Amino acid sequence: MIAPQRLSLKFYFADISVDVEAFIPVFHRWIREHVVSNELLLDVADYKHILDGPALFLIGHTADYVIDMTDGKPGLQYVRKRELGTDLSKALEMTLSQALNGVKLMETDVELRGKLKLGADAATIAFVDRLNYPNNDTGAESAQAQLSDSLGAVFGVDASITRVDNDPREPLTFELHAPSAPDVDTLINRLQARKALCGQ
Amino acid sequence: MSNISWKEILLEEMPADLAHEVDIFEGQMELMGQGKLDEKVFAETRLRRGIYGQRYDNGQRHDGFESRDLAFEESERIKGPDTLWHAPGMQRIKVPFGGLTPDQLDVLAQVADEYSDSILHVTTRQDIQLHFVHIEDTPDLMRRLASVGITTREACGNSVRNVTCCHLAGVCRTEVFDATPYADAFAQFLLGHDDVQDFGRKFKPAFSGCENEACGLVMMHDLGYLAQVREVDGKQQRGFKVFVGGGLGTVPHQAKVLSEFTPEDEILPQAQAVARVFARLGEKRNRNRARIKFLVAKVGIEEFSRLVEEERKTLPHDDRWSAYLDTLAHYEEKPTRPPTFLNGQVRLSAFNRWFETNVYKQRQEGYSVVTVNLPLGDLTSKQTWALADVARKYVGDNVRTTVEQNIILRWVSDADLPLLYEELTALGLGDPGAGTIVDITACPGTDTCKLGIASSRGLAAELRTRLTTKSASLPDAIKDLKIKISGCFNSCGQHHVADIGFFGNSRRSGNFKMPHFQVVLGGRWRDNAGSYGLAVGAVPSKTVPEVVDTITNRYVDERAKGESFQEWIGRIGKKQARSLIQPFMQLPAFERQPEFFSDWGDPRVFSLGDIGIGECAGEVVSLFSMEIATAESEAFEAQVALDESDPTRADALAYSAMVKAARALVRTQFLDVGDDPNRIVQEFKTRFFDTELFFDQYAKGKFGQYLFERHQSPNQNPDIDSAHRLIEESLLFIEATHVCESKVGGNVLIEL
Repeated sequence: MIAPQRLSLKFYFADISVDVEAFIPVFHRWIREHVVSNELLLDVADYKHILDGPALFLIGHTADYVIDMTDGKPGLQYVRKRELGTDLSKALEMTLSQALNGVKLMETDVELRGKLKLGADAATIAFVDRLNYPNNDTGAESAQAQLSDSLGAVFGVDASITRVDNDPREPLTFELHAPSAPDVDTLINRLQARKALCGQ
Repeated sequence: MSNISWKEILLEEMPADLAHEVDIFEGQMELMGQGKLDEKVFAETRLRRGIYGQRYDNGQRHDGFESRDLAFEESERIKGPDTLWHAPGMQRIKVPFGGLTPDQLDVLAQVADEYSDSILHVTTRQDIQLHFVHIEDTPDLMRRLASVGITTREACGNSVRNVTCCHLAGVCRTEVFDATPYADAFAQFLLGHDDVQDFGRKFKPAFSGCENEACGLVMMHDLGYLAQVREVDGKQQRGFKVFVGGGLGTVPHQAKVLSEFTPEDEILPQAQAVARVFARLGEKRNRNRARIKFLVAKVGIEEFSRLVEEERKTLPHDDRWSAYLDTLAHYEEKPTRPPTFLNGQVRLSAFNRWFETNVYKQRQEGYSVVTVNLPLGDLTSKQTWALADVARKYVGDNVRTTVEQNIILRWVSDADLPLLYEELTALGLGDPGAGTIVDITACPGTDTCKLGIASSRGLAAELRTRLTTKSASLPDAIKDLKIKISGCFNSCGQHHVADIGFFGNSRRSGNFKMPHFQVVLGGRWRDNAGSYGLAVGAVPSKTVPEVVDTITNRYVDERAKGESFQEWIGRIGKKQARSLIQPFMQLPAFERQPEFFSDWGDPRVFSLGDIGIGECAGEVVSLFSMEIATAESEAFEAQVALDESDPTRADALAYSAMVKAARALVRTQFLDVGDDPNRIVQEFKTRFFDTELFFDQYAKGKFGQYLFERHQSPNQNPDIDSAHRLIEESLLFIEATHVCESKVGGNVLIEL
């Protein structure tokens, strides 16, 4: 299947004891120190004045990292917006890999360590591409199958993918439930092992 | 890559002219990518499509310690002088008179989340802006907007910008008549008009229905219209008092009266004449003095008026001048619900607070205008869809943006107000305080603007938070004061017409720079931006909340009964006003108060290192350069059509490219040549071919013959070979046109 133009993946905070403001200096430092080695980070955009929306963006050239408060559920959203390749399974793999890397960077950041925890047992995945993935049953079925295949292998056998019954104008969106998901390091290792396997 | 495209999917839904314009622009992007288009020409071309540069797009960013390179791929590729191709930019979207429909809101929300950061920003000119947009996404973005009748054409650059109009026009209790259809007709008439393509600077029009309200703010516009009615032979005649040469910017100018009464059937030709005079006599080289206000100041309003009158006499007749008048009688907005009254319903105190500030009683009984108070002018895609649904339910198509960066819903049936309030609140859009001291206007400033010096949005957010917290206890005298903030002296935040205005600058303390805001007091928002404020001094950015408290407290303490803020400032004078802020003007040392050396919402040590060259005015590029670029794009499109094995289309485009090139050349001498190919070819022949100006030293008139032959004998059944030949000929013709233009100098001479 074709890769979407944009793909986003949001992990939710299981625990957080800092407010959005605290991420601003962190994101600026990430830019300065090139913390994400394989992405070009550009700027920080502050929208915390908006209620229940994307509150803070770490804007990048290929992807954005967002402290997202939509629907009152705070989380870290990774929005891959360029260089997704041509194939959906690879795009998913890469997006998941970078999103998990973002989670790990955040949880281990020198200013944030011990102040937040992102859960790996649930995530929201959105295909922000109405041309190739319109939010209807036709587009959803095959995307869901691919998601189940790609994410199931990483998050565990009991992982399930459910289509979100959202407004058709919104992007085609799915939820991942993975009750027995391991910690982030294990997920990253599994993903790398899977990549290595596919590469052989 | 996908094998379907928005271009194909939306083909039937886009107006043909808009679709063609986007295709042309896409072709120009391709040419730029191949290095076949001059960078300045492309910069102005994209600006005229609303694609504006953004901070750091020169590939440099100051990280608080030093300026560092941003390692964009293909760093040699540019989209204008010193502007990297891959750096994100801003897309401005024109919204004439602020009018939007729910269907348009839906599409705006979709393009915002697919191509930007999912935030829609309402500007002080009723536009919508999207930020962090990649230029390669813009053609599809424009196509999707075109499918709902929105264009980005001439949203930036040296062109006629969005035509603003009072958001209450048509429902206002004090207006003379509804200026909306006139603003709309004006916008349509001048969009892409030949006579507005050769300005040295941007041109901002506005329409207003009332003299004493803020309304359309005509006094601060390049061209402003104030509705008037006079009696002629016992009949009421509509028209406008016309103002010209107003503007904010670094040096604000109050507009002058161009005419006390211009009848409604004369406003378009008169505007066209103004445009011609501005294009001909306005400054082109020094962009700092290129706005029309400088021309009016230079020649005087009497001489300027005379020039416009003379120019008016030379204009070839255009049916469009008055065609729209026939539709005026049928122009009306339709409410979706019958009028009702707000009687006997339970009213919660939160609703009452909102009702007091966000609801305006229309002159039509039983209806109100509701202001959706957007913090810093922002709303998300998700909020926008929901707002579109709210609009469908309560008001239909009667939605407008405002110059105070809000959105209004018109024709709300009064009994619906409590439910509507609940629904807006659930969306995070139910903030009270619209139009009051908490509803602060701010330009993008250092968040995204290349010219920004200090963080206007950061300061606005801080003030909004602080003032909202204590809004219940604020004295009535200051509740309705206006605070407006610009990130630099260019006044996009309209600080000159605020009660309390600020614009960003900086001061040095030791080895460090400190973000500052110049304080401007006593501007008048009412009376169509009736007077400008007094600059009294600059204070460190971090002291501004205290400065606001100090000024407002003194006003509350010292004001005479009924004395307005402007009157109070006028009474105490500049010296005393300055003394109010004097205690805050001391600059602490970095070692003692390091927090003063970073800006609101930005922990980096403050620097001016990120300021770039503004694209606000665009590059001053000759009319010929712009028009020949369009011809080149069509020639490119012809090649694409040939590659797609469509010789008929290729032939037509190659011919059209030659005609456009000839037209560009003719218009260096004769602006009014029009669009008729017969006339263009004839004029080209007379002026350039018969005079041998077009002749090549060796080929003589050969390239000109290419045009004449195709014009006189169109190929009824072009095949691949003939189309290919014609494309080659068109490229040679265009090349010869360039040579000719540089030979004759390309001066635009008006033929009287």
